[in-house]
Amino acid sequence: MSSELKIVEEDKADVTTVLLNGEVDIYTSQNLKEKLYNIIETKKKELEIDCKNLTYIDSTGLGIFVGALKKSKQYGSAIKITNLKDNIKKLFIITGLDKLFIIG
Amino acid sequence: MSGSNENKVELTLPFKAEYVSIARLTASGVSNRMGFDIETIEDIKVALAEVCNKLVAYGSSVCDSYKIIFNISEKELNIVFDSKDKTLDSLFREEHDELGISIIQALMDSLSLSDDSSYILSISKSIEGSDNDYRE
Repeated sequence: MSSELKIVEEDKADVTTVLLNGEVDIYTSQNLKEKLYNIIETKKKELEIDCKNLTYIDSTGLGIFVGALKKSKQYGSAIKITNLKDNIKKLFIITGLDKLFIIG
Repeated sequence: MSGSNENKVELTLPFKAEYVSIARLTASGVSNRMGFDIETIEDIKVALAEVCNKLVAYGSSVCDSYKIIFNISEKELNIVFDSKDKTLDSLFREEHDELGISIIQALMDSLSLSDDSSYILSISKSIEGSDNDYRE
């Protein structure tokens, strides 16, 4: 179906960057969850979620981010969310998640 | 051909996650045609999808689909969600919902539940009131 999300992972010395391309919705979020959790568990270092090509996210996707943050704290690492578009940043503000995440 | 400014677009979707994007596309097309600005169109898409998400996540043992009715007037878009399974309104009456309901309430002008089970839920956005206050 038409909802699409492409997830590109890039590994650097002290940070893993995940570039999200497309839409995170109820259909695509399960794939994102598996990917993020897997990275957090195996890499055990800071995770940057680059949202410059993320065009849409809903509460399912925001919930995945919160779950990933909890998991990363278990491993003593952090999550940074970067390049949010205004319409998506607005959702972080509405839900108060802007205070929970490091947003760059 | 009717010359009325009030029109209706209806969509019937299965309780399946892969079809929520169809609802978003339709909302985008309808609200764009009505003249909403791009930011508000995004808000309407998100709010509508939050309702769809809850319906799809819960599903129904009574029926396979739900209906979305876009009631278009000159100044307002009213979106009604309906299904043969009227018990689905309980999903929106319970207070335990975390992010979804708060997002809908923040992005739309109104959210109402039916008093007489004639529909499940209705959300509205007025064109004039489309400039809401979420600023950093």
